[in-house]
Amino acid sequence: MKNTLIAVGLTALMSTTAMAETIGVSMARFDDNFLTVLRNGMEDYAKGLDGVDIQVEDATDDVGKQLDQINNFIASGVDAIIVNAVDTSATQAMSAAAEAAGVPLVYVNREPINVNDLPDNQAFVASNEIESGTLKAFEICKNLRAEGKAGGATAYLMMGQLSNQAAVQRTKDVEDVIGMDMCNFITIIDKQTAEWSRDKAQNLMTNWISSGTPFDAVFANNDEMAIGAIQSMKAAGIDMASVQVGGVDATQDALLAMQAGDLDVTVFQDAAGQGSGAVDAALKLARGEAVDQKVYIPFKLVTPANVGDFLSKN
Amino acid sequence: MSESSPGVGGLTFDKSRRTRPPELNVFAALVLITVVFEVLGRVLMDNSFLFNTRDNVDAIFNEQRLQIIILQVSIIGIIALGVTQVIILGGIDLSSGSIVGATAMIAMSFAQVAEVNGMPNPKGMFLEQGWVDLPVIIPLLVGLTCGVIAGGINGLLIAYTGIPPFIATLGMMVTARGVAKWWSKGQPISFPTDSYAAIGAGMTPVFIFIFLAVLFHLILKYTVYGKHTYAIGSNEDAARMSGINVARHKVLVYVIAGMLASLAAIVLSAKNLTAQSGMGIMYELDAIAMAVIGGVSLSGGRGSILGTVIGALIFGVIISGFTFLRLDAFYQEMVKGAIIIGAVVLDQWRQRQNGGKA
Repeated sequence: MKNTLIAVGLTALMSTTAMAETIGVSMARFDDNFLTVLRNGMEDYAKGLDGVDIQVEDATDDVGKQLDQINNFIASGVDAIIVNAVDTSATQAMSAAAEAAGVPLVYVNREPINVNDLPDNQAFVASNEIESGTLKAFEICKNLRAEGKAGGATAYLMMGQLSNQAAVQRTKDVEDVIGMDMCNFITIIDKQTAEWSRDKAQNLMTNWISSGTPFDAVFANNDEMAIGAIQSMKAAGIDMASVQVGGVDATQDALLAMQAGDLDVTVFQDAAGQGSGAVDAALKLARGEAVDQKVYIPFKLVTPANVGDFLSKN
Repeated sequence: MSESSPGVGGLTFDKSRRTRPPELNVFAALVLITVVFEVLGRVLMDNSFLFNTRDNVDAIFNEQRLQIIILQVSIIGIIALGVTQVIILGGIDLSSGSIVGATAMIAMSFAQVAEVNGMPNPKGMFLEQGWVDLPVIIPLLVGLTCGVIAGGINGLLIAYTGIPPFIATLGMMVTARGVAKWWSKGQPISFPTDSYAAIGAGMTPVFIFIFLAVLFHLILKYTVYGKHTYAIGSNEDAARMSGINVARHKVLVYVIAGMLASLAAIVLSAKNLTAQSGMGIMYELDAIAMAVIGGVSLSGGRGSILGTVIGALIFGVIISGFTFLRLDAFYQEMVKGAIIIGAVVLDQWRQRQNGGKA
């Protein structure tokens, strides 16, 4: 009798696990504005699907912890893993661990260093970073031209955390645009990291302003830093109409700053779209279906002309 | 207090052993570092670090530079005022950075406006309850209460369970960061009222920092509270035998440190017009470093608020100096680390020179 009960219990347990597909998610951090939209996008999308369980862990920006989380997911037998990498150059070990265990793995938002030689059951879902920095820098270049500054203009460049591929790529995008004939009238006075943070950007901008060098534009790798720069410039009495400021992400705060006339350019990255795209790819891989190894969700340029379309999106 | 013990306090104080205040050494280091940047600026950048070189401005000094040097350290400086007292007491506080994160989130959620650009606040936490456009005193009191609770728990654990301060505040560090993330499920909280934003606007953070520094310098020097803090840090058993209620005093010091951390959180979120759960990460270490550079001994009983303030200024000069020289942030961190180690080595050496107990 006892054995039958145990057997029935076990079968019930096994059948529920067989029915529900479990996805383990390791996010780089829970306290980032953009990544939170992405995370909510994944959770909402998974909730809408029948029989998909999603378990989200916070890697608190710690590479080692992230790898542990992935190994824990593997050990607890998830059907697929989604990783938002803390450090995009430390993904080799994660790919190897998942491959050895035969568990599908999807990288989301941050491009892993091994993106070109991912194993068959692994994929990458994101927006193509080359678009974001390029769209922003080119728009600012056009605006400066329209202001009649094509004879020569100066700019500061604020970078995100340097261990992060998006920061490196977005910085390179700006430098590439400035290398073009049409935009080579822009000179970068200095580039520094403000680590994606509004407070550090405020301090950095004030330090730059205190050097007294005149400037026409500020390129920031993300919106939080662009807002920090704007706050410092306003505090120093600089007319925001005389400076072009560009960010990336189109966060709520940034869109409202654009409505107020302070921010000139940002780029919308479809966080929720990336989240649902990653869940989709993970499920397909878990079911053995074919998936493109690189799924790109397009960026969109946001300017004061179309800011209204984006206000409720991120 | 009697005239024979002019303020530095503590039971081991011996006037004959100290010929000049240790703050003087720290101040000399500050001047030296500033001069190095000035010289490097003249040589490498053809520009002055401290003096005004713009023709259209009529001033001797580059006032913006002087302002940012102190502005960028005043918020962590406020934390360091509390940390200094904890270290003098013979303890340590690792939780202040996380208390900043938690308090910023909680206080900011009670400081939000109802409408932004004519639309309902997209980040409003308590829009439904109608808790928007509240008078500034409410987020202030809520925020300070967070600090009192967190500091109180630290103090009670340390004073009454015998857990080492390192462990108790480490626990609080992790817990408070969890609270910061849980409060709004990771979402940033933005768009405060004008009166709340005024707390962090312009140079207000600096005025708050200086006011509190003077206040606590006087309190540590001239009140019973200060004497007891030094006494416990110098020799806890002796302090207990001389009738000081050591446990109660410890709780009080940790509560004050928690309150100062939460005040820093209020100023920080007001300055940035946003609260994010990642705010304040590593602030506890910067605050401890400011105190250590300022000559506060990690073995307790020695140091002063004045020293910590100069330590904070050294931080500010380094950050501004490196940006001025357009050097990368990597070097900043390396130099910061080297200076912290150097300060402790100097402190040890000074103690041996004085022939005192290390």
